[in-house]
Amino acid sequence: MNCPEVDRVIDAYSDDELGAAEAAEVRAHLDVCPACRHRVAARASLGGLIRRVPYYAAPDRLRVAVATARRSARVSPRVLAWAAMVTLAVSVGSGTVTRAVRVRQAAAATTAAAQDVVASHVRALMATQLLDVRSTDQHTVKPWFLGKLDFSPPVDDLAPIGFPLVGGRLDHLGADPVAALVYQRRQHIINVFVRPAVDSGEALTDTRALGGFQVRHWTRGGMTFWAVSDLNDTELDQFVRALQP
Amino acid sequence: MPQRGFEEVVLPHLDAAFNYARWLTKSDADAEDVVQDAAVRALRFFSSLRNDDARAWLLTIVRNTWYARFSKPGRAEQRLVLDDMKDERPDDQLDPEALVIQRQAVKQVQRAIEELPADFREVIVLRELEGLSYKEIAAVIGAPIGTVMSRLARGRERLLAILDPDLTTGGAR
Repeated sequence: MNCPEVDRVIDAYSDDELGAAEAAEVRAHLDVCPACRHRVAARASLGGLIRRVPYYAAPDRLRVAVATARRSARVSPRVLAWAAMVTLAVSVGSGTVTRAVRVRQAAAATTAAAQDVVASHVRALMATQLLDVRSTDQHTVKPWFLGKLDFSPPVDDLAPIGFPLVGGRLDHLGADPVAALVYQRRQHIINVFVRPAVDSGEALTDTRALGGFQVRHWTRGGMTFWAVSDLNDTELDQFVRALQP
Repeated sequence: MPQRGFEEVVLPHLDAAFNYARWLTKSDADAEDVVQDAAVRALRFFSSLRNDDARAWLLTIVRNTWYARFSKPGRAEQRLVLDDMKDERPDDQLDPEALVIQRQAVKQVQRAIEELPADFREVIVLRELEGLSYKEIAAVIGAPIGTVMSRLARGRERLLAILDPDLTTGGAR
């Protein structure tokens, strides 16, 4: 690449939005071009300053106003009960269990699990119970779970790549107790839920966006992991890759 | 097919909605009005929400609400309110003198962003403060990804041009 070509993608490069091959070409040019290197550095320090300007959180009265706004429009429980009966009737009626049905059941199990993951994430963010143990040290967080769970979650330190550990807590997904590890990227919280892998028809890996959150699921060394955050997909994937050797 | 309640879907993204509205309107009171109206609209269109994109969906509604209210030229732009820094996040690794310099720099950046045209301002806020990907920003502002990229580029060029050059090179050398 030459300077004008680098210039055309300099923002996408700075924002980690370039493909690997193109990013490598930019890096090769930066190695030999002090002027472009300077321009990339200026964007990086501008970004650092911008991320310190005020983040305006919603005032409490607005939260209350919005919460009351929907009360009038809630679906009645009777309608929901009726809908559940219809769903049940349809699934009973489908009879023979074919492969397609099993795949669909696995997908449904995974979807249900992903919804639990998002619900736990939101619950943790909205309550004051995000952290039971607050520490950036993996050697403090990991032993904290001893005696509280019948398994020991692997705890990795990802501060070197910009995802510092902030702590952990006990949580649950559906009825299962899980270890929740909390990481941070700028002001975004990432919850990682860990529990022993069980074959419950869940898929082994999953990537999806649900309710405005990115959700990732993978299995490693007998443990099953769910990561959830409002971080953008590119950065969350980078985080997840670092946790998968 | 909204299986989850409105509150569950919208409230987790209320901070994002308010921050976006606040940067668009540059006023606490206007931002509250916009988000409240947006919530009412969101409730009305809740059934049209596909399950996967609640934040982008809500931010789009905030944007449309703001646009409908304030798009008359000059109306919103005239009210330039410079609040004191409320939510400043200092860098704990800096010594006191460097902190003072950084605080001034941040204030200058804040003012510079507020002076940007809304088209540039919003992509910078969505990218740098909300951490949205280009794809997500494109969904919120209803424009192609190429437009997102060129607005970010032009917005940043303008900020770099407005700002004291020491601010953006001093830290990076």
